[in-house]
Amino acid sequence: MPREIITLQVGQCGNQIGMEFWKQLCLEHGISKAGILEDFATQGGDRKDVFFYQADDEHYIPRALLLDLEPRVINSIQNSEYRNLYNHENVFVADHGGGAGNNWASGYHQGEQVEEDIMDMIDREADGSDSLEGFVLCHSIAGGTGSGMGSYLLEALNDRYSKKLVQTYSVFPNQMETSDVVVQPYNSLLTLKRLTLNADCVVVLDNTALNRIAVDRLHIPNPTFAQTNSLVSTVMSASTTTLRYPGYMNNDLVGLVASLIPTPRCHFLMTGYTPLTVERQANAIRKTTVLDVMRRLLQAKNIMVSSYARTKDASQAKYISILNIIQGEVDPTQVHKSLQRIRERKLANFIEWGPASIQVALSRKSPYVQTAHRVSGLMLASHTSIRHLFSKCISQYEKLRKKQAFLDNYRKFPMFADNDFGEWRIDLRPSLEKATPQAPWTQEFHFCRTSSQKVSARLAGRKVSVHNIEGATV
Amino acid sequence: MEDDVVADLVKQLVKRLLPSPGNSTEKSSSSSNGEQQQTTLDRAFQYAMRIIGSRIAPSLASDEVAMAESIKRQLVQEGRSSDALTFADLHRRFASLSGTGTVENRWAVLYLLRAVSEDQRRDAAETKRTAVPFTSTLSGPAAVGGLQALPKAAEHPKLQVSQLDAPASSSPRSSLRNGSLRLPRQQAGSSDHGPQGGVLILSKDGDNVKSIAIREYIEISQVDSEVTEAALVRDVVYACQGIDGRYVKFDEDQDGYVIDANVKVPKTTRVLVRRLCEVGWLFRRVRNHISESLEDGPLEAIGTVGQAFCAALQEELGDYYRLMAVLETQIYNPIPFMSGGATCSGGNFLSIRRLAVWLAEPLTRMRLMAVLVDDCKTLRGGAMAGAIHMHLQHGGPLVRSFLRRLMRRVCAPIYEMIRRWVLEGEVDDLYGEFFVVAQPVKAEALWRQGYQLQTSMLPSFIPEPLAKRILRTGKSINFLRVCCEDQGWAKAAAAAVATVRASANGRGGLGYGETEALESLVAEAAGRIDRHLIQIVYNRYKFRDQCLAIKRYLLLGQGDFIQYLMDLVGSELSLPANNLSAFKLSGTLESAIRASNAQYDDGDILDRLRVKMMPHGDGDRGWDVFSLQYDAREPLTTVFTEDIMATYLRIFNFLWRLKRVDHALSATWQTMKPNCSVGRASAIKGDGVKSELTVVLRRCQTLRNEMNHFVTNLQYYIMFEVLEFSWANFLAEMEVAHDLDELIAAHEKYLSSIVEKALLGERSQLLCKTLFSLFDLILRFRGLADRLFENAREMEARNQNATRQRPKRDFHSGSFNGRKSSMSSLSGDFLTSISEEMDACAVEYSSLLEGFIAQLPVQQHVDLKFLSFRLDFSEYYTRQHMSMSTTPLKFRRTSLKI
Repeated sequence: MPREIITLQVGQCGNQIGMEFWKQLCLEHGISKAGILEDFATQGGDRKDVFFYQADDEHYIPRALLLDLEPRVINSIQNSEYRNLYNHENVFVADHGGGAGNNWASGYHQGEQVEEDIMDMIDREADGSDSLEGFVLCHSIAGGTGSGMGSYLLEALNDRYSKKLVQTYSVFPNQMETSDVVVQPYNSLLTLKRLTLNADCVVVLDNTALNRIAVDRLHIPNPTFAQTNSLVSTVMSASTTTLRYPGYMNNDLVGLVASLIPTPRCHFLMTGYTPLTVERQANAIRKTTVLDVMRRLLQAKNIMVSSYARTKDASQAKYISILNIIQGEVDPTQVHKSLQRIRERKLANFIEWGPASIQVALSRKSPYVQTAHRVSGLMLASHTSIRHLFSKCISQYEKLRKKQAFLDNYRKFPMFADNDFGEWRIDLRPSLEKATPQAPWTQEFHFCRTSSQKVSARLAGRKVSVHNIEGATV
Repeated sequence: MEDDVVADLVKQLVKRLLPSPGNSTEKSSSSSNGEQQQTTLDRAFQYAMRIIGSRIAPSLASDEVAMAESIKRQLVQEGRSSDALTFADLHRRFASLSGTGTVENRWAVLYLLRAVSEDQRRDAAETKRTAVPFTSTLSGPAAVGGLQALPKAAEHPKLQVSQLDAPASSSPRSSLRNGSLRLPRQQAGSSDHGPQGGVLILSKDGDNVKSIAIREYIEISQVDSEVTEAALVRDVVYACQGIDGRYVKFDEDQDGYVIDANVKVPKTTRVLVRRLCEVGWLFRRVRNHISESLEDGPLEAIGTVGQAFCAALQEELGDYYRLMAVLETQIYNPIPFMSGGATCSGGNFLSIRRLAVWLAEPLTRMRLMAVLVDDCKTLRGGAMAGAIHMHLQHGGPLVRSFLRRLMRRVCAPIYEMIRRWVLEGEVDDLYGEFFVVAQPVKAEALWRQGYQLQTSMLPSFIPEPLAKRILRTGKSINFLRVCCEDQGWAKAAAAAVATVRASANGRGGLGYGETEALESLVAEAAGRIDRHLIQIVYNRYKFRDQCLAIKRYLLLGQGDFIQYLMDLVGSELSLPANNLSAFKLSGTLESAIRASNAQYDDGDILDRLRVKMMPHGDGDRGWDVFSLQYDAREPLTTVFTEDIMATYLRIFNFLWRLKRVDHALSATWQTMKPNCSVGRASAIKGDGVKSELTVVLRRCQTLRNEMNHFVTNLQYYIMFEVLEFSWANFLAEMEVAHDLDELIAAHEKYLSSIVEKALLGERSQLLCKTLFSLFDLILRFRGLADRLFENAREMEARNQNATRQRPKRDFHSGSFNGRKSSMSSLSGDFLTSISEEMDACAVEYSSLLEGFIAQLPVQQHVDLKFLSFRLDFSEYYTRQHMSMSTTPLKFRRTSLKI
């Protein structure tokens, strides 16, 4: 009766990072590319059945659904060495294979149309597990399929499996360079709304930051998607280690997430990982200790989310919660010393409206994967500075929206057909940090429906409008 | 006057023995040579005078043969075998001399010779090495004045031989008898020189004067005596053997042998006889003790040690009898007097005074024996040996050597017992004399209670640590034999014996005084057997694995297993305790094992895991009585005794409770998780009623967050600072543990460290109570939250049915006006009441928590500092406290300090 987790990989990006993730899991559990347990993988202690199940011939099958509207990525997976790993029934590619054309509305609409097929697959997987804990969705929020179809799936899951946890690994687009997807701001915003309402926990993976890390920290001049995806898979696998290697605490996703998300709306998590290495980069090995790892995790340059904050704002940003998952040979007594040091040096600012602390989970390292470093750490944190990321999305959206650009593509689809173009925009209280213990919940992303005229009028004043949410303050 | 004579004689002797310039090297001698010769002579003379003047008594027993043997041996050792032969020949001739000119005290002569020669050798060595003038044993005590060395023997190669030759050819005898050393001065007399004759005559005159005086004295003394001295002497000798004589009889009143009051003897004689007869009195005591012990009493009363003691005493008495026999013969036969010609009067028979001299040494011995007999009368076994050992702390060499001899005999049985115990694990002790006592106990208690040290039977010469080691060694053997059914120890013991024998060069043999041998034997045997035992415990009984299993199952280390168990039994345990079926719970346990990674564990270990229902009273819920139990099985029950398992049970209950609270909070979170519809409602800006619900929901969430923070951090504390920390220490100690006792101690330390730190100890009872009421409150909160959300969901569902006809996921929906009316009607009382309850809950929680946090720094032990550090990591509670009250509390001070 393991707490099974079903992974849904949607769209091009979702399938790419999903594949990397499964690669990593197979390595860590000693499962071969065809799903057979390797001979050397005799040391027990790991739980494979959270993410895998065994077929009749004993080969391990990931609890994964591969969904896309165009065949390119999925074909490449099915032609790769890992083709025998996945359950072929769990692969869904749209018949026409035309994709969603980077149009959120198209993805959403197509998702609606193939709901039955996909829900069949999900139901089948869910029935195959004894005590399903929840779903993990991998997608990007910028394109068409991952954002649109992903959004639809989120709503569907929320509806059908309302008691199950839904966690997403959402890749945010690179906003430093001009994207070839011009409607990316629209897509992002529409997806963000579903992430806010229909997901329980969103792990934000910011391509901007991933690129920055690849360039600055790993010294790769022009990082490829494969390289950034390997960063993502590292984070994903590290964040699930406590589920896969049971210990005294944090053995289920709920327990893990429950202490990270104090209030429902603050469920966007940042990640940080150290020490980072890409494959076969052996020159940069340094000595790692618990303190060292924990200290580095608190440094902004190791965080995989760009804050876009001005310095003044950045200094006011505060942590709502932190969980450090430390892997490797760790002396438990070092944890306390490190925490003490961090508090002495005031390396982390915490919110003032409630108790908060750095949680540290120690986890085993896979015995089958050789790493150069003795200790590595992943940080999952809820941090107020994440609002700047949303501000950025909003401002980009508003720029585009002002011009009424590219809206025609969206009007082609039923939900926007009556030109009642969903003007969902996000309102943020500007200062999450200044919340009081009496009203900690005011830091919420607020969605409301306004007419486009209103928005335009307000935007003319060039200021991100702030709704005074009377109802939200006591 | 006599001194001058002696000096003169010595001078003569020196002159004769040392080659004088006049005799041999007259031609070559120069004036300086002559001076040198003169100083040499002076020094030799002074040396000789010193020897005569010194009153050094040899501490050795006087044994001529032994002395001769030792000289021979020494010569042989120095590689002078021919000299040794020559010496043997000379000695034979010397000894076979009879009649006039016989040297009576040949031993003394030999001793002197040896001493002088040793003295010279040492002197030579010392001058060679350090150039310190002549100090040695012989002249040492007297050498304060800085005596110059005697001319080297090497210069006079003939000296020794001629010295030895001298007595052989000497005819007249010097009658100097004043020193304890009878010096071979008569050797000088063997020379042809004239002056000796005169001296001898002088000496003869002295003899005459003396003997005349003695004769006169005897006559005078016998005037007022009815009894002849000879008769008294005979009586005394009888009395000394415990037999009443004619005149000397045992007097009960005076408790001693006295001369019959009717017999007229001088008072001095009476007193003297009385004193001499003390020996007899003591003898009687000793003899009575022996006969009582050996003949009358049952053997149990004295035991083997007592028997050995008696036997040793008897042997001593044998010596004593022999002495008495010799004395008895001397009563009738004249004493072979030194000067053969002096047999003129009866004075040479054994007199009372002579007897006093003879009996002086036996008296000390007899006194000692009597004291021992008195001391040991009530003692047995080891205690007796110990008591005798105490007497050995004596300065007198005589006493010591005597007692040592005795102890060797007395302790033999004890050492045999030790040997058998240490090497075979047998208590070979019929009469309760050994300091290890076996008690009939069940196998599982064998180690802890089966054998004990009986301190009263522990001889004082065996130190306590050694005794403990001895005890443990035998215990280990028995443990191996009885509990582990292992035979490998025999090999270990045999190896130990072999090693000891090899290292001791065959000198082996246990016995009194051989403490080192005993120690090395015990150390070897203990080391090997303990190692063997530890190996058995580790390898065959998998001690480490068992400990790990206990940590994983009873201390909840196997998180997934515990979680499934919690999921599965959760509903069951909410039932009243007496409705529970242990059988059903066992089934649940089984399925939890199968569902979790525990299934890969050793089947043997899983078999030992059981569900245990604690005794329950009325109103107890399943939660109160459910617990897990681990059956360690023999022989590991020695480590995991019932008490220990009870402690584990307490820890398990605490951790289980904590886990349950944690579980409840997680479940609550899941009901209010971000994407649930009720939660979502709060995101939508609504009207007054809606926001009232929102307020309650938010309050609920904040409270949950606070509780969750507390429980999570408490768990982290338990995990890192308590369980893992103690475990790491335990592992390290397990690594270095040499024997089972150390292992047990390490395990107990591990457990008590957990108990202490997990607030279960004596000192933190109050804290623990607060903690438990916090737990209860959290569980109550869970019920409250569940009710709230259930109602809220119900409300919403009704709303949806009433107002929303469109599909739920249609985001064009949401006409709040329709909802508003129904919501307001629904909310009303329920919201108000639940809001009040939530408030009460929050208030109670924060007061309890504040109490708990405030108590933390008051606690004695430091580790709780870690807990308060974790709980107040962001100093939220400090701030809250400061804002709430201005009076500084202990908590605030310490938390600022951290």
